[in-house]
Amino acid sequence: MLLAKFTFPPTDELFRWKDMVFNDSPYAINKTSFLVMTSAVLIIALFVGGSRKMKLVPSGVQNLLEVTYEFVDHGITRDVIGPNAARFTPFLGSLFLYILFLNFWEIIPFIQFPPTARAAIPAYLAIQTYLIYWYLGFRHNGFKYLTGHLFPPGVPLPLYILVTPIELVQIVFVRPFSLAVRLLANMMAGHILLTALALLTAYTLTNAPIIFIGPFLLLVGVTAFELLVGFLQAYIFTLLTAVFIADSLHPEH
Amino acid sequence: MHGVLALVVASEEAEVTAKNPILPETKEIVWAVVAFVLVFSLLAWKAWPAIKKALRDREDKIRGDLERAEAVRSEAEASLEEYNQQLAEARGEAGRIIEEARVAADQVRKDLIARAEADAADVRTRAQEDIRLASDRAIADLQTRVSDLSIELAERIVQRNLDRDTQIALIESYINEVGGTRR
Amino acid sequence: MHDVLLAAQAAGELKEGLSAIGAGIVYGAAAIGPGIGIGIVVGNAITAMARQPEMAGQVRTTMFLGIAFTEALALFGFVLFFLAKG
Repeated sequence: MLLAKFTFPPTDELFRWKDMVFNDSPYAINKTSFLVMTSAVLIIALFVGGSRKMKLVPSGVQNLLEVTYEFVDHGITRDVIGPNAARFTPFLGSLFLYILFLNFWEIIPFIQFPPTARAAIPAYLAIQTYLIYWYLGFRHNGFKYLTGHLFPPGVPLPLYILVTPIELVQIVFVRPFSLAVRLLANMMAGHILLTALALLTAYTLTNAPIIFIGPFLLLVGVTAFELLVGFLQAYIFTLLTAVFIADSLHPEH
Repeated sequence: MHGVLALVVASEEAEVTAKNPILPETKEIVWAVVAFVLVFSLLAWKAWPAIKKALRDREDKIRGDLERAEAVRSEAEASLEEYNQQLAEARGEAGRIIEEARVAADQVRKDLIARAEADAADVRTRAQEDIRLASDRAIADLQTRVSDLSIELAERIVQRNLDRDTQIALIESYINEVGGTRR
Repeated sequence: MHDVLLAAQAAGELKEGLSAIGAGIVYGAAAIGPGIGIGIVVGNAITAMARQPEMAGQVRTTMFLGIAFTEALALFGFVLFFLAKG
């Protein structure tokens, strides 16, 4: 067998990193945190720096900023929440950029690790979205927001025995969990896939050059695909956050 | 060096606390929160309003330009309409003037012809009058002459003894004489 | 005594192997339904877009939402795979 001696490292080695500074403290920085902070600095440099001198005739960075804003403002905020929801664009735009930059580390040479593949980030973002969801819901609809969710109208009375617990599990657990898991699992799977293909390419290059081209082309293709996935997951997370906000503002829809 | 290496190389002997790699870690959550709060606050403070303002400014500018262009265009259309009207008026005026001139010229021509005809008729009558007068005068003259000559002839005939040849010659000479004077 | 130790070791290995197989089956099974579901979602979205191309933008957004919800089930399986393995 050509691949007889090929071994894949344990998952821990793909996702856990040694502390770099502040070792073993609650605020220790490892590769994940380092990339998260670097992304934050990059986003701030690009967007705050780029928007300092906005011109009437756009050029260069300003085009990028405007396209991003329009994408979030039209494609997400207005489409999902409504025409008068411009006040949510800053939050949704920042969320989108944050996830997008973190996802793209997956295919940056030599870094090649998406911090969003660590449960910490998707979990935090999902919880944050959920806090906003409930806060807005109660502020706009009062307490009947909760009852409206638990006892949806138009259901025969005996069925509430079935519907209410399902809805409770749904809104308390499944929705935030699925929001976080979607992003996490996509990025984890992408990272594992890329690592496996990269290791396979390296292995075949030295041990079985006959079939080297196969894993290599696959690696290139999957890298391009992960670019799409990184964008799509950022978009979907933002879109779902917008859907939740819309739901908390107008629960009848 | 150790720190830089930790970026690229995975931890060989992953942390001893063999937590499942899929569970979140507190230290990573801390930095994720810090990063997101930084990004959100700075972008919401500086970037998004600036971008929104730039977009709105451009929108306003374009809308203003379009409105102004529309105003200018309708103005131009109005003045074009006005010019066209004036042109039509001028054309009508010119037509009217030409028509008037033609009528006037016609009138003048008719007048001239009439006057010329009248003049010609006048001249003709005067000429005829002259001719008539002249012939009258000539006839009167001739009558006087003839009578004179007759008288003279009669005198001569009476004076001489006349033969036939002499008489003819006499008459001939007389006639010649008369013809000579007449001519 | 020796036999008992061997048996214990074998049992441990068996347990490990079985849990690996179980984890694999978990993910494989979890992927079946969402695979069919995503196919249905995308297929119908394409039909809708072909029928009403002017609605393509809205259909695409809804399609992504549908994919996201359906895909979540497969991703639960993926996470369970790790939890079962670790």
